[in-house]
Amino acid sequence: MAAVAGVEAGAQAPAPATTSAARRHSFPVWRWAILLIAAVYFLIPLYSGLRFAGLKAFPDVFKQAGFISAIGLSLRLAAVTTILTLVLMVPTVVYVHLRLPQIRRLMEAITILPIVIPPIVLIVGVLKVAPGFLLSTPYLLALVYVILAMPFAYRSLDAGLRAFDLKTMVEASNSLGAGWPTTLWRVVLPNMRTAMLSATVLTVALVLGEFTMASLALWQTFPVWIVNFEQSSGAVSTAASLLSLFVTWLLLMLIVAVGSWSARKRGGAQVTLFTVAPRESSQTAGEPE
Amino acid sequence: MTTNTAGNTAAAGGTRHEGGTGGTGGTGGTSVVLQDLKRSFGTTRALDGLSLEIAPGEFVALLGPSGCGKTTALRILAGFESADRGSVLVDGRDMSAVPAARRDMGMVFQSYSLFPNMSALDNVAFGLRMRKKAAAQRRSQATELLEMVGLADQARQFPHQLSGGQQQRVALARALAIEPRVLLLDEPLSALDAKVRVQLREQIRSLQQRLHTTTLFVTHDQEEALSMADRVGVMRDGRLEQVAAPSELYAHPATAFVAEFVGTMNRIPGELEGDGRVHVLGSTLPTKGDQPEGSGGAGGSEGTGGAGGPEGASGPGRASRPGPVDVLVRPEDLRLTATSAGSGIVTIATFLGSLTRVSVLLSEDVTVQVDVPSTEAPAPGAPVEVKMTDAPVLVTERR
Repeated sequence: MAAVAGVEAGAQAPAPATTSAARRHSFPVWRWAILLIAAVYFLIPLYSGLRFAGLKAFPDVFKQAGFISAIGLSLRLAAVTTILTLVLMVPTVVYVHLRLPQIRRLMEAITILPIVIPPIVLIVGVLKVAPGFLLSTPYLLALVYVILAMPFAYRSLDAGLRAFDLKTMVEASNSLGAGWPTTLWRVVLPNMRTAMLSATVLTVALVLGEFTMASLALWQTFPVWIVNFEQSSGAVSTAASLLSLFVTWLLLMLIVAVGSWSARKRGGAQVTLFTVAPRESSQTAGEPE
Repeated sequence: MTTNTAGNTAAAGGTRHEGGTGGTGGTGGTSVVLQDLKRSFGTTRALDGLSLEIAPGEFVALLGPSGCGKTTALRILAGFESADRGSVLVDGRDMSAVPAARRDMGMVFQSYSLFPNMSALDNVAFGLRMRKKAAAQRRSQATELLEMVGLADQARQFPHQLSGGQQQRVALARALAIEPRVLLLDEPLSALDAKVRVQLREQIRSLQQRLHTTTLFVTHDQEEALSMADRVGVMRDGRLEQVAAPSELYAHPATAFVAEFVGTMNRIPGELEGDGRVHVLGSTLPTKGDQPEGSGGAGGSEGTGGAGGPEGASGPGRASRPGPVDVLVRPEDLRLTATSAGSGIVTIATFLGSLTRVSVLLSEDVTVQVDVPSTEAPAPGAPVEVKMTDAPVLVTERR
C-alpha cells in the first residue's frame, strides 16, 4: 500500500466549496474511467482475499497461537521507532531550516538513500556488524526501522515546516522573552502537529508492514507471523492480512480527519495523503510495504 | 561620522547613566546608542561603521534603499544578529552578551508573525506568560492592549481569520504588551495595501507618542519615515548619510544622495566659480553646505533638537572645485514664466490638486520638474522660462 502523506502549504486556505464545485462540473469522463480501472485493480485482490478467507475466519485470527505476541511485538516496535524517529528528526529538520537552509537539498538526497538501498542489503550488513547485546533484542529492528522511515518522516516534517514562517516565529518568540526550550515547545511544535502526525502514521504503517528485515533477523513480528501461519491455515492468514490492511487504512483516514479538523480550526497547514511537498520536484512516492 | 549634533549627543548621554537599572518600561524611556557597528555577510558589507543615538522616548526611522543595512542594524539591536565590531548600549549598558530573549525589546516584523496556533488574545498574552504573570492578569492586560489597537472584538479569533492590517495591529499589541524598553518596527507596513498602511501609520505614531516608548523604525518608504519619525536617518551602503528631523532633511539635505532620495529633486547643470558661487539658469547663487542654516524650528522632537544638520563640505558627492557641477533644486524652488522667448518647452503637466507639476524640457538631456499653482499651469507645448529663486543651492559633481 502506497501512502505518502504530505502537508500542503495552505496558509491562504482556498475556499474549498467553490473549488470542489467547479471541479465537479468539469470532471471529464476519462478521469472516471481511470478511477474505475484503478479501483478494480486494487479492489479485486481484496475481494478475492475476502472470498477465500470467509467472514468466519476473522474472529479466529485473534485465537491463533502467537497472534497476540506477534502483534504486541509489532506495536512495541512501532512505538519505539516512532519515538526515536521524532526525537531524532524534529530537531534536525528545525535546525536545518533555521541555521543551515543551504543544505536542505543535500538533506533531501541523504534521506532518500534508504529507499535506494534494498532492505535486504541493509539488514544483512547490520546483522553482520551489530554487537551481541543488540542482536539479542528485537529493538535492533527499531533502530533499523528508524532509517527505513527516515525518507517519509523527513519529507513530512520538512513540508510541515515550510508551511509556516519558522524563522520569524522563532524570532518573535525570542523577542517576547521565550528561550529556546519554550519556543520549541509552545511555538514550533504546536505548528508542526499535523506534520508530526503524518510522520507518525507513515512510520507506524511502515513498521506494521515490514517483513524482510524482521524475517531475516528471526523475530516474529506480525507480518512474519502471517507468513508463517499461512502454512497451517491459509484462510486465517489471509483474514489476518486483510485485517492489518484495514487497520492501517483506518489509521491513515484518522490522520486526514484530525489534520483537516485542526486545519479548519487553526487555519494552519492542510493535511492530504498522497501528496508530496508543494512546489519542490515531486519525489518518488515510497512504498511503506 | 555623519550622525548627530552635539545637542543630541548630550541629550542621549545625559540619561544614559540614570537608566542603568533597566526595565524602566514603556514610560520612563530608554536611550539607545549604536557605536561604530560593522557587519559583513561573506563579501557583502551590510554595516560599515554605523553610529546612532536614540534619546529616551524618541521615534527614529532608518530610511534607505534595500540592501543599505538598515534591517541589519535593527536586527543587531534586537539581538538576532551580532556585530563584527562596535557596540550596542541600552541605557548605557553593553548588550552584546545579552540574548534576544532578555533584551526586553518588542518587535513587529515585516512578514506576518503571529503564532498561528494561538488566538489574538493568547498571542498578545504570550510575552506576559513568559514573564510569569498570573493568568487573570495576563488576560486583562492583553484585552486592554487589544482595545488599544481597536481589536477587542477579535480577541478570540485565530490569525488566519484576521486581515493583514488586523494581524499587524495584533503584532503591535503583542510587542507593546511586554512594556518593551525599545520598540522595533521592521517594515511592518510594507505587506499592507495603501489605505490600511496610512491608517496604521497614524495609529502607530499616536500610540508611540502616548506610551513614550523609544522606537526604531526601519523602512524604505520615505513617506512613512518622514510622516512618523521624530528624526530620520538616511542610510546608504551600511552608513548613515544624515540624521535629522524630517523637515530638516527635506530642506537641508547634507548630501546629494539624501537630497535625491528624500522627495523629488532636479539636477540642473551649472558652473561652479572660484568664489564658491554657482552659475545656473542665468543666475549666480551662493552654494550651501558650508554653513548650514540654523535648525531652529525644525523637528521639535522633545528637546532633542532634531537637528543633525549637514556635515562638512567634504561630504560624499559634494563638489568643491570650480568647474561644471550639477545643481540640486526642488520642484517648488523653481519659478516658471510663460514667455514666447523662453528656452524651455512644457512636455507634461500633472495635476496634483492645488499644485500642478510641470515637466519642462530645457535642452536635449535636461528635463526639470516645476511645481506651479494649478491656476497658472501652462499647457503642454508652451514655451516657458525657468528661473532659480535667490536661495542658496546644493551642488554636486556633474554626472
